[in-house]
Amino acid sequence: MTMAKIRRAVQILFLLFFVLLFLRARYPYETGLPSDVFLRFSPLAPLFDLVANLNVSLLFWPALIILLLTPFVGRFFCGWICPLGTTLDITSHLVKSPNNRKGIDVRKWRPVKFGLLIGLILLTVFSVPVWGLFDPLSITNRAFTVLLYPLTTLGIENGLQALSRISFLEGPVYTVYDWFKMAVMPEQQAYLQQVIWVALFFGGILALEKVSRRFWCRNLCPAGALLGFLSQFRFYERLVGDACPQCGKCNRECKMNAIPLDDANITSKVECIECFNCGETCPPKINAITYRWRWKPYHSSVDYTRRGFLNTTVGGFAAIGLAGIGLRNRRDAAAIIRPPGSMPEDEFLDRCIRCLECVRICSSNGRALQPEGAGSNLLNLWTPVGVMRTGYCEFNCNLCGQICPTDAILPLSVEQKQQTPMGLAYFDKNLCIPYAKNEDCIVCEEHCPTPEKAIQFDEKEFVAPDGSRRMVKYPFVDRELCIGCGICEFKCPLPGEPGIFVTNENEQRLASIGSV
Amino acid sequence: MKRRQFIKYALGMLGWSLAPVWSRPAASLLGAEMPEAVWVENGEPVELLRTATTAFGGLSTFISQGDVVVIKPNIGWDRAPEMGATTNPDLVAELVKQCLDAGAKRVKIFDRTCNNPRRCYRSSRIEERAKDAGAEVEQIRDFKFKNIRITGGEEITEWPIYQDYLEADKVINVPIAKVHSMSRVTLGLKNLMGTMGGERGSLHNHFPVKLTDITREILPTLTIVDAYRVLEHNGPVGGNVNDVRQARTLIMSPCTATADRLALDLFGLPLGQVAHIQAAFDRGLHKYDFEKLRLKKITL
Repeated sequence: MTMAKIRRAVQILFLLFFVLLFLRARYPYETGLPSDVFLRFSPLAPLFDLVANLNVSLLFWPALIILLLTPFVGRFFCGWICPLGTTLDITSHLVKSPNNRKGIDVRKWRPVKFGLLIGLILLTVFSVPVWGLFDPLSITNRAFTVLLYPLTTLGIENGLQALSRISFLEGPVYTVYDWFKMAVMPEQQAYLQQVIWVALFFGGILALEKVSRRFWCRNLCPAGALLGFLSQFRFYERLVGDACPQCGKCNRECKMNAIPLDDANITSKVECIECFNCGETCPPKINAITYRWRWKPYHSSVDYTRRGFLNTTVGGFAAIGLAGIGLRNRRDAAAIIRPPGSMPEDEFLDRCIRCLECVRICSSNGRALQPEGAGSNLLNLWTPVGVMRTGYCEFNCNLCGQICPTDAILPLSVEQKQQTPMGLAYFDKNLCIPYAKNEDCIVCEEHCPTPEKAIQFDEKEFVAPDGSRRMVKYPFVDRELCIGCGICEFKCPLPGEPGIFVTNENEQRLASIGSV
Repeated sequence: MKRRQFIKYALGMLGWSLAPVWSRPAASLLGAEMPEAVWVENGEPVELLRTATTAFGGLSTFISQGDVVVIKPNIGWDRAPEMGATTNPDLVAELVKQCLDAGAKRVKIFDRTCNNPRRCYRSSRIEERAKDAGAEVEQIRDFKFKNIRITGGEEITEWPIYQDYLEADKVINVPIAKVHSMSRVTLGLKNLMGTMGGERGSLHNHFPVKLTDITREILPTLTIVDAYRVLEHNGPVGGNVNDVRQARTLIMSPCTATADRLALDLFGLPLGQVAHIQAAFDRGLHKYDFEKLRLKKITL
């Protein structure tokens, strides 16, 4: 068993683990296996925690272990663990990426990842915390939540439905369907906004595999940049023996182009992701490549110059400026309804890594949460907001807080959550049926979940123009009782615009769990 | 086969094929003793149900060998049974057992819930208890609603109803007695909304007519009003145990409108105040003359 084979098996196992955790992220969330644990593998999380809060939270223990090991063994995370890396490896097989000799030389792009990392740090210092958009684990989880999972379930569900119409297949197909519904798709089909933009972002990263293998990891990934920076002196080394005839195989096939095409003896420790493909490609007769520990390691330099840093700084400040000059639209601002238990907005944006795990678990419940667009504020891009016309916040559900990997949404108990308003409902009396037509409806009141209903009604006599009289129930909101769950807006039977809607007025943000 | 033998067999077959005809007078003679509705009070859910079915001569009065039976409890909300928002799980489990004992081939249970279906099925404990008792408890499948034509509908001419419900041999409707701000109470007729697809919110407008339009087409074999717990305020969702009264009562009737009208006594409401049950009687959804109803009242 060569190292490369072991590495491939480990990669597949980690990817399956990621998928398993993703699928378990649903009601009832009782597996004892916290689905957010993999998201806390992100090597960037502790760094940005340090930059934003001058604190290293032990919440990110998996990432801390990886960071501690990296100076010794290098970018093993990229080669062995990262689910995005594995996805890219699979993609490169499918699209048949060119090798390093045939493809265009992309080494000049290498500094970009360092620039991106430094730029994101700069942005975070200036309170524009958007690094999560580029975090490899967030990217993967976003793609799963918004694209891959909904696509798969839609396809399978429709496929099974079509099959069930063939009469002799009906029985077995329903058995499969029921299992599928229970185990894989324990909720209605998820329909999410921002599909096209997430698809372009993720699809773009995949498409770059056509340019070179691991284009994203070589040139763009900020996590790769951080790990590369840490592994410049790593102790675990690739040694090339005298038997090497410089046949050019290993340097041609290197996923990261870490071995220069003209000299197989050198490895860039900053770029190498420890995939061990070089050892596998080396012809067995020659077998010149060995790996071993050396206590006096050589150094590989980081492809990042002073000029690069200057460019980054300029770009970073431009981005900070762009984030600052966005439109201040009060209507948009009031529509930013955060999940219950979210920290105060600045703190929330600081911590939120835009992984959309809360959106994923919400789609197995009331389906209130949606990924927000950039709209008028760059900072809100792909953060979770409640869109109550597509779903509502389930009264007895606190799963978004349970699953948030960074505690941007605090893990409230169900009782705490039920007492933490996320907004307030308003009637639009021009639309609401009892006010507009003087006829009974009060679907909203029926569904209102608070033990003492936040929607109540006055029963008043209505005298029609023809003189006829009838009693009509006119609903109103008790703002002391309303928690902004939005089931009223979701269930309002009007087509299009609802007769009742939720804004984030009256929302309660929490600095810590104890403050309820 | 001899001619004589043939004639014997043929006569025998003819006799059997006429069985429904000659057995009918006998049945109706028995029927004179059979109540049209039963009211049992002061008991636990299981004994309430046993007493009521015994008063009807056992569930086999309604269920034949090999029947596919649908039981339609109220599983509409993500609430524990103690909150009185969903049908009592012990009652449902006992009913499943009795159906199977009466020879039912399959017992299916489902409801189109208002909250997340998986949560409702679980919190109500109906899924767990009914499955243990041998029922098939399935989530609603969106594609299994079939449009049915409503002949003589005043407001509704067509509405989607769940296929399993339409295809069942027998249907037992098991609502829980609750107040409801829009319809005043939610009982048997309103409980049938759980078999309806489509945008149900739109039924709230002109509710009595629309509800009776549709339910006329889908009336169940038997209606059992679970009034072991009665939700008296904040219905139909509830959420506060103080709003629940322990009425320890059960009402059973082959006529849904009759069962509903009897159940109004639990709330002290006159028929005139509950428009949709009034409409059911005005529009002839009832099977029995309420003034001459053969009602059997049992206190345990």
